[in-house]
Amino acid sequence: MSDKKTILICEDEIPMLETLANKFRNEGFEVIEARNGEEGFKLALSKKPDLMLLDIVMPKLDGLSLMKKIRDNKWGSDVPIVLLTNLSDAEKVSEAAKYGVYDFLVKTDWRLDDIVALVREKLDLNF
Amino acid sequence: MSTNKSLIIKLSDKILLIIVAFATLFVLAAVFVVGGSLQQILILGGIIYIISFLTAYAVSRSFSNRIIGLTFKVEEMAAGNLSKKIEKKGKDEVAQLANALNELISRLQTGVAQDVSTHKELTQAKTDFVAIASHQLRTPLSIIKWYIDYILCGDAGELSREQKKLISEVYKSNERLIELVNALLDVSRIDVGTFAIEPESIDIIEIANLALKKFSIEIRAKKIRLEKKFDNLPLLKFDPRLIKIVFENIMSNAVKYTPEDGIIRLIIKKAELNILIKISDTGCGIPREVQPKIFTKMFRADNVKRIESVGTGLGLYIVKAIVEKSGGKIWFESPSLDLLLEKGRDNDDLPIDKRSQGTMFSITIPLKGMKKRIGTKKLTSA
Repeated sequence: MSDKKTILICEDEIPMLETLANKFRNEGFEVIEARNGEEGFKLALSKKPDLMLLDIVMPKLDGLSLMKKIRDNKWGSDVPIVLLTNLSDAEKVSEAAKYGVYDFLVKTDWRLDDIVALVREKLDLNF
Repeated sequence: MSTNKSLIIKLSDKILLIIVAFATLFVLAAVFVVGGSLQQILILGGIIYIISFLTAYAVSRSFSNRIIGLTFKVEEMAAGNLSKKIEKKGKDEVAQLANALNELISRLQTGVAQDVSTHKELTQAKTDFVAIASHQLRTPLSIIKWYIDYILCGDAGELSREQKKLISEVYKSNERLIELVNALLDVSRIDVGTFAIEPESIDIIEIANLALKKFSIEIRAKKIRLEKKFDNLPLLKFDPRLIKIVFENIMSNAVKYTPEDGIIRLIIKKAELNILIKISDTGCGIPREVQPKIFTKMFRADNVKRIESVGTGLGLYIVKAIVEKSGGKIWFESPSLDLLLEKGRDNDDLPIDKRSQGTMFSITIPLKGMKKRIGTKKLTSA
């Protein structure tokens, strides 16, 4: 079981965080949950996940600022990051692209299975 | 009006006064030279008459010129030009009128400035509303979506067939709500003018096929014959998201309103300096009396409401905005009989109100590509 992939989910809406986390656990992932940007940053540095799913609008530290902090850190320069959002602002997409985002998902457009499939594809998983 | 009238009276008074003054002068002169001959009196009278006429003419000319000047200025004001004030000359009634007009210009300038700032505030409020609605409405909708999805996928335990059927209906209704919220947000973005067009090199046929895929289940279920006629086209500088919204909206109408065993034809070809997209169907058509309204927000014709109760009435409004802001055109023909004639006689056997009329939408987008449009928001609905 040591080759289980770890993902960190940072989301301030508890129902969304729980649903996503449970879904990924059911699909065989190790999941770390964070409820705001600051907690996400600390957990990311200490647990070093294989991939991060970040909400954008969050208290304390928003998703884009968190992403920038992660990228500025030696460990986080190339960890895959997927942004989850309800906004579809062109500005934010291009800003996120500057920090090397893997994908930018509008929550209402994505089913859970499709999010899992996207993460698997990025992590090259075939299970 | 009363100011104008009194001004005119005062002006004519002035001219009259001059003529009367000169006439009096003439009478006095006649009395002084009473010893003179009748001929001398007439000559003198004639000279004085000419002088008084010329003086009166010069005075009235100077007044009328200034009044004509003021009239031009008022006409400019009526046309919306409030930038220049009127030059004042003297202290007479025309100068007073000029003063009054200058006062009016100042007030109007302040009023216009206030109107502009109120308009800006309203636009800002609308933009803020879009942002708030976007986040606040979509958050609960995505929570519902993911919870139902979680249950439907069996992650919360196995479902009976009945449970699965019921939960699927909840899922579908939620999807409709999401669609409506997205369409409303798009409309606000179009109205506020904040939506972006980001052209990139795309294969339009690939986008069309991707959009068609969305309707494959319904097309198969209704046994609709789908005909595709695509030219070989180069890569085009189009915004893929926007072109997909256009295809999906027009196709969605065609599929929804074409009865079983009907035909839908999609043609994409080069036509002079444009890409021409034609989508025709053997559907119920658009009644003549509502044709002028179909690109209006929230409008749905009665005949389509009878066929399909669900629909936002926003799709064609969004499509028209996208096409026109991209430098293209959209129009339609209904009835459109080409496909119906191919389809044969079975239409004639139906009662008149059940007969298919057919519709053909035509869209052009310049071959040189969509015009890039800097905006802060993307359109989302499909």
